[in-house]
Amino acid sequence: MSLLSVRDLQAGYGKVQVLFNGHIEVEPGELVGIVGPNGAGKSTFLAALAGSVKPSHGDIEFRGASIRGRKPEDIVRLGLALVPEGRAIFTDLTVNENLLLGLTGRRDKSGSAKALAEVTDLFPVINSHRNHQAGLLSGGQQQQLAIARALVSEPSLLMLDEPSLGLSPMVIKDVFGVLNRIQELGTAIIVVEQRAHLIMSIASRTLVMREGHVRATLSREDAKDETKLAAAYFGTGEDRE
Amino acid sequence: MIQTILDALSYGGLYGLAALGIGLVFGVMRLVNFAHGELIAIGAYLFIITIDLGLPISIMIAVTGTAILALLMELSVFKRLRLAGPSVLLIASFGVSIFLQRLYEIIFGALPISGQIAPWMSGVIEFGDTTITRGSVLTIILALVLLAGMRFLIENTTLGLQIRAASSDFQTARLLGVRSNYVIGAAFVFSGVLAAAVAFVLVTQRGSVDPLFGINITILALVGTVIGGLGSLQGAALGGFAVGMTISLLNSFLGNYRVYTYTWLFILVIIVLLIRPSGLISNKAFKERA
Repeated sequence: MSLLSVRDLQAGYGKVQVLFNGHIEVEPGELVGIVGPNGAGKSTFLAALAGSVKPSHGDIEFRGASIRGRKPEDIVRLGLALVPEGRAIFTDLTVNENLLLGLTGRRDKSGSAKALAEVTDLFPVINSHRNHQAGLLSGGQQQQLAIARALVSEPSLLMLDEPSLGLSPMVIKDVFGVLNRIQELGTAIIVVEQRAHLIMSIASRTLVMREGHVRATLSREDAKDETKLAAAYFGTGEDRE
Repeated sequence: MIQTILDALSYGGLYGLAALGIGLVFGVMRLVNFAHGELIAIGAYLFIITIDLGLPISIMIAVTGTAILALLMELSVFKRLRLAGPSVLLIASFGVSIFLQRLYEIIFGALPISGQIAPWMSGVIEFGDTTITRGSVLTIILALVLLAGMRFLIENTTLGLQIRAASSDFQTARLLGVRSNYVIGAAFVFSGVLAAAVAFVLVTQRGSVDPLFGINITILALVGTVIGGLGSLQGAALGGFAVGMTISLLNSFLGNYRVYTYTWLFILVIIVLLIRPSGLISNKAFKERA
């Protein structure tokens, strides 16, 4: 059975519908990418899964139970965590306080200390800045903190919205390197990215979104084929066929 | 001179407490709660009505009762308006405010009810040639204790951390698992406790309570939260303190012209806001809630 199974999801803001047909299947421990141009509905898709945007239609099944319409604070306790776009670090709080807030989303509080230790092990940089104000961290460090903060709740599925945003290529490499390690520890991951190549090289499958619809699913082999990617990305596929 | 300074500090402390109560609720839900004045009023009524049971019991009843009313406001009205914008919330709080004023009028009557709840708060302390009023010293102490207590709660507890996070970015706080209803409810309860403290000081000063008892200080405390910087708890307390102190100092210096106290106060407020539109302490993480 899939870890996450989403069908026919629709969502938007007020009367403006942004997501028209979101669907995705994620197996336990899998890394799935979502790419697409600006305004394709990628962030709205993730926000709808995390509960911060209320879906107007469709099914979200997570670990065998429907979570559609549930509050974000409940969804994270079920093991589905989102690292929002732009990192959303509490810049006025210390690094440590940011991490402690991440513990709020744990269902079982007894493993908190262990989870914190494991995560700081994964991000040594964060550990050395524990008592600094989070706003003083560099962009890359803030991104790592945002991921670490989501990880201390020990989610079975971690969603990241454009983790490469505003980071230098070197730092992006670091951040994506960590994703592989998180996956090795058994956590499934969904990554939304504008940089398609970056994510397609590490994801087992990559969905292509355009105009609020999931238009195509590409395998890792497809990623090497420029024309296939371009066709899905820019919607020229239909014209060629 | 010493008395002038003590008066200024005690006024500052009192307005700081009122502004912090308003700032706490504004922080977590972007609600400018005009009905905070009616929380102060119910606190004052409860003190006067129950004082015959002895001060400790009276304090317990007044503080608990005010906190419960604060929570009831949230559960019965504001909780149902979670998706509404700040302007709707503001108007709703006007509604709650006026409803409660009328309700107090029906229950307690429109005329002031008087009572002495802590006679030891009045009177003077003598140091050789100088005499100072006992009330001002005790008010300063009460304000310091409560502000320090709130500071500890906000800075050093898990709930406080969640309130700080929710105040700067509610949406992200929820994504991390912070329970919105719990944090907002807690903010209302704390604002109720602070309102009861303000009520205690005010009712010992004035010796009576009427349905409009809390309006004046609430409006001025609101000015304080704006001056301090909306969205910052420290700013709210500090802004309230500044407003209270200014009022007291203006009253002293203007002497017979003290009718102009508020004129000068608001001239100063306008100047401060022209120089620092986002308040004395601007919260960098402050975000307008969508």
